Amino acid sequence: MPHTTTLIILLVLFSAALAGVLVARPGITATRVGKILAFLVLFLLPILCGAMGVSSEMDRSKTTAFCLSCHTMEAYGKSLHIDDPGHLPAAHFQNHRVPADEACYTCHADYALFGTLKVKLHGLRHVYVYYFSTPPAPENIKLYQPFNNRECLHCHLGARSFEEGAVHTTDPATLPAIKSNQLSCMSSGCHEVVHDIANLKTAKFWKEHE
Amino acid sequence: MTASARPMEKRIQVAGIILIIGLIIEALCLLWARPISFVIFVAVGGLFLFAGVVVFLFSLASAPHVSD
Repeated sequence: MPHTTTLIILLVLFSAALAGVLVARPGITATRVGKILAFLVLFLLPILCGAMGVSSEMDRSKTTAFCLSCHTMEAYGKSLHIDDPGHLPAAHFQNHRVPADEACYTCHADYALFGTLKVKLHGLRHVYVYYFSTPPAPENIKLYQPFNNRECLHCHLGARSFEEGAVHTTDPATLPAIKSNQLSCMSSGCHEVVHDIANLKTAKFWKEHE
Repeated sequence: MTASARPMEKRIQVAGIILIIGLIIEALCLLWARPISFVIFVAVGGLFLFAGVVVFLFSLASAPHVSD
């Protein structure tokens, strides 16, 4: 557990203890110090705890461990360890082209305005389906929309390997088409092997060193 | 303690109890790192905190005016 989360939990418990004092001895609010304490404990501290807690929870919801804590996502977590450089998510995860502890969020965040809010709403829908409906089998999970090149270009745009790569520059029309999302990075037959869940049983896996 | 102070103290107690429940829910959710805990944190814990603060503010607003 991150230290900040531990500190927030301690602050929350401290606030609850102070609120307990006010519940047990409401008479102290008759004094000036008691009024200040009541304002602090029953107004400022709960707001502070709530805001810090939301911030902590939002940060935690971006972690790879958080995404993979759902049983449905286990296969997708495994696919990050496939020992094949042609397997796009695995190559990104294993070579730290994305932060390993935020691997899912880095690629599946919507980098447009209000993108974080949009993906969080999708996450809420996932929670609803997981607990109150029948989640699809991992191999049947589909994206809400085709993967937008914008998510790839968030990191690769301007990178030498992308801008000067032989395949990207052979045809002068290729780069503009990629940048305008007319030619998909993935579904155009270039980087098409993504989370190959169906063939997971026959895949060879990379063993991460501890 | 005056008679008029008692209802205010009662409301402060109610606000305190609601806030304690909300804060305990928030602490448990922070300890339990699962997607459902995020939803409970925001929806249930947040609701209790909001209700507690509202009851406290209401207790202030409804307190009898003391003239000098």
